[in-house]
Parts: sequence; C-alpha cells; structure tokens
Amino acid sequence: MSGKAKKKRRMSMEKKRSLEAYIFLIPWLIGLFLFFLRPILISMQLSFSDIVKLKGFVMDWVGLENYRYIFFYDINFIPMFLQTVTDTLLNTPICLVFSLVIAILINRPMKGRGFFRAAFFIPVLLGAGYVMKQMLGMGADGTTITTGIVVPELIADLLGHNLTEFLQGVLDRITVVLWKSGVQIVLFLAGLQGISSSLYEAARVDGATEWEMFWKITLPMITPVILMNMVYTIVNFFTDATNPIVDYIYKQSFGNPQQFAHGAAMGWVYFAFAFLLCIITIGVMRRFVYVSGGKE
Amino acid sequence: MVAVKVKRRRFRLRKLTFSKIMLYLFLAMMVVFCGLPLFAMVCRSLMPLDELYLYPPRLIVQKPTLRNFSDLLTSLSSSTVPFTRYIFNSVFTTVVTCVASIIVCCLGAYGLVKHKPAGSNIIFGIVVAALSFSVHVTQIPNYLVVNSLGLVNTYLALIIPKIAVAYNFFLVKQFCEQLPDSILEAARIDGAKELRIFWTIAMPLLQPAWTTLAVFSFVNNWNDYFSPLIFIQSNALKTLPLALQTLSGGAGVVARSGAVGAATFLTTLPAILVFAFMRGKVMETMSYSGIKS
Repeated sequence: MSGKAKKKRRMSMEKKRSLEAYIFLIPWLIGLFLFFLRPILISMQLSFSDIVKLKGFVMDWVGLENYRYIFFYDINFIPMFLQTVTDTLLNTPICLVFSLVIAILINRPMKGRGFFRAAFFIPVLLGAGYVMKQMLGMGADGTTITTGIVVPELIADLLGHNLTEFLQGVLDRITVVLWKSGVQIVLFLAGLQGISSSLYEAARVDGATEWEMFWKITLPMITPVILMNMVYTIVNFFTDATNPIVDYIYKQSFGNPQQFAHGAAMGWVYFAFAFLLCIITIGVMRRFVYVSGGKE
Repeated sequence: MVAVKVKRRRFRLRKLTFSKIMLYLFLAMMVVFCGLPLFAMVCRSLMPLDELYLYPPRLIVQKPTLRNFSDLLTSLSSSTVPFTRYIFNSVFTTVVTCVASIIVCCLGAYGLVKHKPAGSNIIFGIVVAALSFSVHVTQIPNYLVVNSLGLVNTYLALIIPKIAVAYNFFLVKQFCEQLPDSILEAARIDGAKELRIFWTIAMPLLQPAWTTLAVFSFVNNWNDYFSPLIFIQSNALKTLPLALQTLSGGAGVVARSGAVGAATFLTTLPAILVFAFMRGKVMETMSYSGIKS
C-alpha cells in the first residue's frame, strides 16, 4: 500500500516538472506557432490551391495540380533539385571532416592560436551577403573570383584533360566548403574543449599514442557535436540563399504573382526532402552517439 | 649560466620539427583562403569602375580610389532621412532581437532538456522540421501572418519573427544536454526555485553556448536585408544594409557598382567589429571548466 502511495506521489511530481517545463517553453512555443507553424500551414494550403484573387489572397482548391505541374511540366525543377541534393551529399562529409581536422589542429597549444581561430571564422561574418554571392558566382555573367584559382598549366599538361577537370572540380568544391565551415569549426572546438584532460592524461600514462587517443577518446566523446554539426551542415547547404533551387523557388513565387502556388509546392517538396534527410541522419547517428556516464 | 642558456636554446630548436613547419604552412594556406573574401571585399570597395568590369574578374585592385565612398556619400546626402537613423534602426533591432532570442531559446531548451516534459520528442521533431525549412520559401505566408498581426512597417516586424529561431534552440539544446544533473539537483535540494536555478546556475554554465549564439545571431540579423525589404515600407524604419543597398542603386545597377562595393564593405564592418570584440569570449571560454565529469 505504501508502495502505491509512493508511486502516486511520484507521478504528480513528474507532472509538476512537466508543467514547469511548459512554462519555460511557452514564449518559444508561441513564437514557433506564429512564425513557423502558421506560415507553413498556409504555404501547404497554398500548394494545393490556385490563387483566384490576389487582393485578400483568395484561394481555390485544385488538389495535386501544382505538384503535377512542377514534376511533369517544369523543366528546371527536377534537374536543379537533384543537383542540390548531390551537392549537399558530397559537400557535407567533406565539410565535416575538414572542420574536425582544422578544429583539432587549432585546439592544440601553439603560437598564434587565437589568430588562427579568428581567421577561420571570417567567412561566417560576411554571411550569405552580397560579397559571398559575388564570390560564389551568382553574378549575372556567372564569372567568379574563385575561378581565378586554377590548376597550374605545367601540372595540367602532366595529368591530362580528364584528371585536370576532376582536380579543378575538387578545388572549386574545397573553396566553397572552406567558406562554409566556420560555424562547424567553432562548434567542434567547443566540443573538443569539453573533453576532460584527465582522460588524455590517463591514456598517456597507459602509453597510448596520439592516433589511438583520437580514435578511442576524442572521436567517441565528440559524437554529440558531430551529430549537431551534421544536421547543421545539411540544413545550411539546403537552405542557403545562394543555392540555385532556393533562388529559383523564390523567383517563381515573387517574379510572377501567378506562380505563388507553384513556388509553395516546390518549397514543400524541397522541405519534405530536407526534413527526411535530417530525420534519417539523427536516427542513424543516435546509435553512435556516446553519452558520458551512461545515463539513460 | 651560459651553458644552461645554450641548452635551452637547443631544446627550443629541436621542438620546431618538420611536421610543425608543415602544420603552420598548411594552416597559413587555409587562412589565406578564408581571408580571401574579406580581402576581395576591401579591394572591390576601392576599385574604379573600369576594373570592376574586367574579364576575367580581378582580385587585387590596381589603381585604388576612394571615389566609391564619395559616390555613396553623395547618394546618401540626397536622401531625406539622416544617416544616423539607419544606424540606430539596425543597432536597435539587432540588439533587441539577439537578447530576446537568447533568453527565450535558453529558457525553452533548458526546460525541454532538464525537465523532459511529456511530448518533448514531438517538440524536438518540430524543431528539426523548422530547421530544414528555408525562410525564403515561407516568405509569403510569413508576410500574411505578420500582416494579420498588424506588425507590418513597425520595428516589431523585424524583431518578433526572429526571436524563436529553431537553430538557436537546437544549438542551446545540445549544450544543455551536457549540463550535469547533479549541480541542478543540489540546488533543488537546497530549496532554490526553478527560475532561480535557471538564472543563477544554468545560464552561467551555458555561457559558452549563448555567447556563441550572440555572435551568430548578431551577424545573421545584422546582415539580413531580406526581412526589412519585405516588412518595411517607410524610409525612416529601414535598416542600414537595406538603406545602403537601395541608395546605391541595388545590385546589378552598373553605374553605381562601385558604390555597392563601398556599401557592402561598410555594412560588414560592424559584424567584424562585434566579432573582434567578443572573440575572446566565444573562442576561449568554450571550455567547460569543471562542469563535465
């Protein structure tokens, strides 16, 4: 009987904590509801409708018509979509490995550490602003400053045409990735500094090499940050304003008022895919995430 | 005495090994890469018009000129709103957004992680969904919502929609998970109220998270000229990036391309300054001294 009473009491305690949590969450939930849930619900409705009257936004239900249009009639959408997906899938691992390597390098004691740490953050400060657009070749004629970095002719002659082309592709990708890794490097640094130094000391006493320490200590301890960074990187590449498809969706919606609904439908297809990718990433990565102290 | 000195010197020399030189070389190369956009931006703001339109585009300025800045100033002086007003608008909306966003996101993330309310998985799912939705795609519905709240053409339109940002929440949530429960339990046993635990224990421990967030949030909101473009019609409420872009003719206008370069440089400057100022906090305090087991 006393056990039952105890259980009951605990339930109410849990309820109390739940309630407290919701009080903490309320301001955020209101914002989320107003400026995320409502807009995307409107956009969903829009994607199934046709705008009859622009004034007052009168919508008419047309079912899957808009989706049919973007998949079967729009010649730009699918190629652009596939291009973005391949780019993201290729860039994300490169970006993660690169930023982890850089973070580990600039986390060790060395001269000019502060300077290096700041330098890698510079591209983030410029944001997705006008400069970056110019640098990444969103200019009218498609010329970029990055195309200035070419494989030297001597090497190109040695390698032959195909290999040079490939190398150039990798070089172009690296510049883009490098400029987009500032945030990841900072987050990795934070994660690395969160690892207690006593772990490394203990390993060193036991005679572990740097290489072993990386695989046995650094990597497992940093898995939560890797997951966070992975999701961030995928999202960042997907929702980037310099992305041709985001640009296309935007232009579809705003360029010609008649196309609002098509833009919304494209946005939904695109969003659904990005969301799915994030969920899969989180689902798969959760198995590998190491939780210190084995809680849960 | 001398012998000791020599010995120490030799020791230092030995430490500068081949691999270390390679490391510095590699890092220096990367730094050059990262500095490139900044360098290009400064150069473009100093380029005369004929150099801006060279093909292939040139990175380094040959004949630097300050004409772009004077061009920008002329177009500024012809406008009816004093320049300081734009600066005030930008600083005000950005700072308020940052502070509000940090408080709201930290509160929510802390509640979600440390209290584990019923339905926390659903909330987290929504957060991930919100992350993967590009703002540009929901812009029209967003406008409809802001309009229905009667916020169009007010400061609030630039602040309120950007407080509950999914990414900020996500970042703080990940950091919150590393807060040790034991400290919070201890405070609870000592009779501290929940809000007090949050404010005096969780927030100081989360400082690395929210200082980082402050910089991210500042940079993003400062550079954002998309939402003022859509929500603001009155000239007096425009933010600095928007004002500079429109005054200098906007991107794509050939005659004023130089002024655009100068404007871009001027808008980026505050973000760089804030970062330079906060750098120590963001980069160095990220160590959780003693809070991790």
